Amino acid sequence: MKRLQYLGRGGLALLCTVFAIGAGLAVSEHTALAQGGEPLYRNVPLWPRPFADDSWVIGSVTGVTVDSQNHVWVAHRGNFSLENNERGMIPTPGGTGQPSSSVCCMAAPYILEYDVAGTLLSSWGGSSSTYVWPQAVGGIAVDRTGNVWITAAGMETPPATGRGRGGAGGRETAESPPAAAHVLKFTRDGRHLMTIGTAGKSDGPDSRSTLDRPSAVAVDDDAREVFVADMGNRRVVVFDSNTGAYKRHWFAYGERSAGAAPGPYSPTDKPARSFRDLTCIELTNDGQVFVCDKSSNRIQVFDTSGKFLREAMVAPNTLGGIVAGGFGVLNAAGAVWDIAFSSDSEQQYVLVADGANKKVHVLSRSDLAEIGSFGAGGRYPGLFLGLGSVATDSQGNVYTGENHHGKRVQKFVPVR
Amino acid sequence: MTRRRNLLIGATFVATLVVLGTAQRLLEQTAAAQAIGAPLAPTFEVDPTFPKPLPNNWYQGQSIGLWVDSDDHVWIVHRPDVLDDTEGALDRKTAECCASAPPILEFAPDGTLLRHWGGSDGPGWEWPDSNHGLNVDSKNNIWIGGNGSADGHILKFTLDGQFVMQVGRKGVTPDSLSGDHFSRVAETEFHERTNEVFVADGYGNKRVAVIDADTGEMKRFWGAYGNPPDDAAAAAQGEYDPATVYQHFRGPVHCAAVSYDELVYVCDRMSNRIQIFNLDGTFVREIYTQRDSRADGSVWDITFSRDPQQQYLYVADGRNQKLRIFDRASMTQLTTFGKGGHYPGEWYSLHNIATDSKGNLYTVETYQGRRLQRFLYKGLQPVTSMQQGVAWPTGQ
Repeated sequence: MKRLQYLGRGGLALLCTVFAIGAGLAVSEHTALAQGGEPLYRNVPLWPRPFADDSWVIGSVTGVTVDSQNHVWVAHRGNFSLENNERGMIPTPGGTGQPSSSVCCMAAPYILEYDVAGTLLSSWGGSSSTYVWPQAVGGIAVDRTGNVWITAAGMETPPATGRGRGGAGGRETAESPPAAAHVLKFTRDGRHLMTIGTAGKSDGPDSRSTLDRPSAVAVDDDAREVFVADMGNRRVVVFDSNTGAYKRHWFAYGERSAGAAPGPYSPTDKPARSFRDLTCIELTNDGQVFVCDKSSNRIQVFDTSGKFLREAMVAPNTLGGIVAGGFGVLNAAGAVWDIAFSSDSEQQYVLVADGANKKVHVLSRSDLAEIGSFGAGGRYPGLFLGLGSVATDSQGNVYTGENHHGKRVQKFVPVR
Repeated sequence: MTRRRNLLIGATFVATLVVLGTAQRLLEQTAAAQAIGAPLAPTFEVDPTFPKPLPNNWYQGQSIGLWVDSDDHVWIVHRPDVLDDTEGALDRKTAECCASAPPILEFAPDGTLLRHWGGSDGPGWEWPDSNHGLNVDSKNNIWIGGNGSADGHILKFTLDGQFVMQVGRKGVTPDSLSGDHFSRVAETEFHERTNEVFVADGYGNKRVAVIDADTGEMKRFWGAYGNPPDDAAAAAQGEYDPATVYQHFRGPVHCAAVSYDELVYVCDRMSNRIQIFNLDGTFVREIYTQRDSRADGSVWDITFSRDPQQQYLYVADGRNQKLRIFDRASMTQLTTFGKGGHYPGEWYSLHNIATDSKGNLYTVETYQGRRLQRFLYKGLQPVTSMQQGVAWPTGQ
């Protein structure tokens, strides 16, 4: 059994463990195991601290990222994603017109910023007269300047139609905003800076000005470019991160023209020539672009110009469940929901959030072979439901976000 | 190495400061509370390491029954059949996780899963369509109810899952005057001295029923205020209004907890009230809590502190996601704790509560909560706030 070398070096991992124990953070029994039984990460069950406001709950989490100060940023779907039983302070449409509780609950603001100890530092979000807040937010990114980027990922539908990250529709009806087709840029304290695309306007996969249910963004600070996983258009599209000007786009395998939408995934079929549901986009230190093709169970890797480098399958037999109910669609199809890189400077490892199998896969970045995994399904600390986001900080800690009914952000520390 | 030691020393120093700071704050709070004559109430801290993960990729459904037996083993009943296609993907063979766990689960005090069984019909018994409520009697039998639309019965098993008795039957309609069946029973509770089982009956019927624990024979039943139940009148009460005193149980009649001093505490859940009776059904008094609660109501389950006097009464409020602590003698609410959510110490739909011999508190959650949690008993402290928030471990 190969051990994670960056953990084996001892320094960082030990530092984190000592810090956690020294600071009195309880460590649960829900320890993550690599294949062969070696622990990889240990859950920190008392992270984050409860909201100071007892009436706040977090909605379905669609994005987690860590900024350069090791602050953890979370995007969740707020009241749009709450069930009647957790939104008791909000009168139910069609009900008595009265709230069912005067004390519990309503959603916390959509964007949450935590420090490494799990203390909430800031919270903001919501529509204004100059921009439309998405009903189904997608991924979140924070650039080097500290600006915060989010996307309007769109409501989930069955996977063959190519959507997938935003989450179930909650019970809203009357207040549904226009179709999701934009990327929003804010300062770190929530002041709106820029919108790319236009809510409600999608002109197809060759458009240079419109998007269709963008699910995630990544920022190349040196090149001043923002990379968008334009899920509905089955493409990656790049804009100037200051001006929003179009720069280039490409499709699966780096193709320059759009292919047909693939049918449902089957493990026995040849890999689809187009993306099914592009749910993540991440940039490495050395100029690679990783994307998640969620229900195709695959990662594709490009250079920043769009040249295809390689693809890798993860848990290729995965189909995953899809639920349609009064709350909308919960699309848990596919094994590749989000990606993060290990915190060593070489980024030797790729962490893959797998919401269908309810675990985080750890791959070697050099060959994208799986060397271990952690997690299992459930509602307890260290277990997952709707695991759709993963992020790492500079100390080697891992943060996960749970979509659908999971509605948590969890922290894991490396163990020896 | 030196750096590591320095780090350790530094961390320990920080931790000590935190502990000292917390202790100081507690002392100040205690002093302040005593100065104003604040009452004492039990305090708790959530234990996020309990229970241990289930084996076999098992996943727990809506958890709707809970009891702690005389060995401090924790028994729950949940609904494996409610797992959706994203949760039960191993059952559907669409992913590696997860499979539904058997409905009856026993946990050791260290959180390890022990016995697990149930879910099927057998010779002489019909498994409920919708599991609901669990009680372990002092002779080590397990009693369960069921609130499926056809469920009109309760079941008695040994701790190993051997069938003992079925009382009532499936396929009935509500009839709160019936002597031979129930309707959608929420919970049962055994009372040793009289060898009786008190039945919170329930979602269909609107009564408390009492049976002989050995024969299942119906001994007596009553409605709100100890009057004979009247299903038509109960149904005619209309939509809940916080200003109205209702003469009939709105229901579900969701618990019937018997104290050592032989009072029966009944949850009239959607009326946001507790009605208290003598064992014979004589009405003693009623208490309302969070009377502005609508929908599924604020009084879901009741249990008692473990001192001989049972000085404190605990109410599970799954609408407002609070654990309410009452002084039992005066039935004054002393304080509440908890909040909504899926993190440790939070509840999605707090459904049942129980205590062990050490005074630790256990909770289970239904709907999208689907957890068993333990809260460690931390002694009596002066009450400083009526709404305490999450029972977060000191110093964390």
